[in-house]
Amino acid sequence: MSRLDRSRTSAHQLRPFFSSQNLLNRADGSAQFDFGGSSVMCSVVGPAEVKLRDEKLDKATIEVVVRPLVGLPGIKDKAREQAIRETLEPLILSGLHPRTSIQIVIQTMKDDGSILATAFNATILALLDAGIPLKSILGAVTCIVDSETNQILLDPTTQELANAKSTHTFVFDNKSSITSTDNKQQEDKESVDVATLYSDSTGLFSEEEYFECAQICYKAAQAIHGFIRTAVQKKLEKEQQQIDS
Amino acid sequence: MATPAFTFTPSTFQKLHPAEFFRRFTTEGVRPDGRLLDAFRPTTVHHGVISTANGSAMVRIGGTTLVCGVKAEVAEPKLDTPDQGYLVPNVELSPMCSSKFRPGPPSEQAQAVSEAINRVLKESKVLDLKDLCIEEGKAVWVLYVDAVCVAYDGNIFDAALAAIMVALNNVRIRKPTYQEGTIKVSGGSTANDENSFTLNLARTPLSATFAIFDTTLTILADPNVTEETISEGQISITLDETGQLCGVTKIGAASCSQSVMKDCVQSAKKRTQQLRNIMNQQ
Repeated sequence: MSRLDRSRTSAHQLRPFFSSQNLLNRADGSAQFDFGGSSVMCSVVGPAEVKLRDEKLDKATIEVVVRPLVGLPGIKDKAREQAIRETLEPLILSGLHPRTSIQIVIQTMKDDGSILATAFNATILALLDAGIPLKSILGAVTCIVDSETNQILLDPTTQELANAKSTHTFVFDNKSSITSTDNKQQEDKESVDVATLYSDSTGLFSEEEYFECAQICYKAAQAIHGFIRTAVQKKLEKEQQQIDS
Repeated sequence: MATPAFTFTPSTFQKLHPAEFFRRFTTEGVRPDGRLLDAFRPTTVHHGVISTANGSAMVRIGGTTLVCGVKAEVAEPKLDTPDQGYLVPNVELSPMCSSKFRPGPPSEQAQAVSEAINRVLKESKVLDLKDLCIEEGKAVWVLYVDAVCVAYDGNIFDAALAAIMVALNNVRIRKPTYQEGTIKVSGGSTANDENSFTLNLARTPLSATFAIFDTTLTILADPNVTEETISEGQISITLDETGQLCGVTKIGAASCSQSVMKDCVQSAKKRTQQLRNIMNQQ
C-alpha cells in the first residue's frame, strides 16, 4: 500500500531522517533532527549558573523550553515541556553537576507531523553534542491507527494525522535494545517484551492495538538508536581528525 | 544486649529517608496509610453542588477534593467551523489546595493536566461539538468547564477527569431561539425538561493512575502526594464504559515492560467500573 505522501511504499516505514549537530556557535550543544518534512532544532546550555530560586543542592536543575512553529508558546507546549523534562531528568547524570542549570530549548522549524518524536530525538542529539553525561540514549517514534483501514501507519504526516483514529508516541532507551541484540533468541521471537520509557496515546483504541503499536514502534526505534550511534561516531572521528592535523 | 548508638522515632525516619521508610512498607505488601498496593482510596461523587452553574460536581478521592462547574455562554463560532461550539476545560491548582503551589499564573502541572483532559475530551469524541450550535455561522454555545482543586493529595488527573465528566453529565442548558440577530431564552425562572436540554455524551472516559516505585517496579495504585514525590514514574490509563481505551500515558524514569502495562490496564478496567458504580449510585 502506498502512503498518502507517496514517497513511502510501506505502512511500517519511517520517513528519511537526517540530523546535524553543532549548528549554533553560542550554545554549548545543538542539533537538528528531521523526519521527512518535520524538523526540530534543539540547543543545550549547561552546566551553567543557576538562578538561586531553582538551585538544587545535590543535582543540576534541568529546564526545558518548547517553542512552537508560529506564535507564542501555549498550554500544549507547556505539556510537552513537562513530558520531555520528566523523561530526560532521570536520563541525565545530574548528580555530577550539583548547583548548576542545564537549559534545553526546543524550536520547531518545520511541522509535518510527529513533532513530539522529532523533538525527543533532536534533544538527545543536542545533549550528546553538549557533552552532558547521560545514562543511556533514547529513540522516539510516533504511529497512528488509520480510521478507515484500521492499519498502523508509522511516522505519520500532518495529512495522515488528520485521518487518525488514535495517535501513539513511544520513547525507548537503548538499555533494553542492548540485551535483545546479545540474546539472539529473544530477537527472533515475534514479540519481545519491550520496556517503554515514555508513552503517550490518545484517541480511541483497543488494548491489542496499543501493544501492537508498541511492538512496531520498538522495532523502528532500533533504527533511530543505530542512527544516533553513527551520528556520534562520525562527529568524534571528525574531531579526532582535527586534533591530529 | 548492646543498644544501638542512637535511635530515632518512625516519624523522624520518615522525614530523613522518605523512600527507605516507604520501602519498608512495600516489601511487606502494604503502604504507610494502611492500603494494599493495588487499593484505591475511598471515592465519593456528588453532582449538582453549585446551583448557579449549568452543571457541577464534587469529587473526592482520599484527600484530594475537586469542585467542577460548567458555565454555558453564547459566542460567535470560528470561521472554519461555523457549526461547532467550544468546550474549554481548565484545571486550577491554587495555593489554597497545597503549599506546593504558588500564587500567580497557572503552574506547569495545572497546564499539563488541563491539556491532558482537553485531549481526552477532544480525541475520544466525547461530545459532538455540532450539538452546541445555535445558529450556523452566527451563534454557538461555549462551555467553560472549570475544575478547582480544594485539597491536593495526589492523583489530580483521575479526580479532575471524573469531576469534569460528572459535571458534563449534569449540564442543563436553556433552549435558545435565534431571531434576526438576537438570542432569546424562553421559559420561566427554573430550568425543567421542556425548556432546557442536556448534553448527549457519546462516552464517559474515566482514568486510573498508578505510580511506579523503586527499580523493582512496584506498582502503587492511586498515589497520594508523598507517593508521587518519591515515585519514579506514573502510568495513567483512560477507559470508556465499553472497555475501549481513550488514552494511555507513561511518564518518568523507570522503563516499564509490556506485562506491567497489561496488568495496569486490567486493574484500570476494574477501577473505572467501580468508579462508574459510585457515580451511578448518586
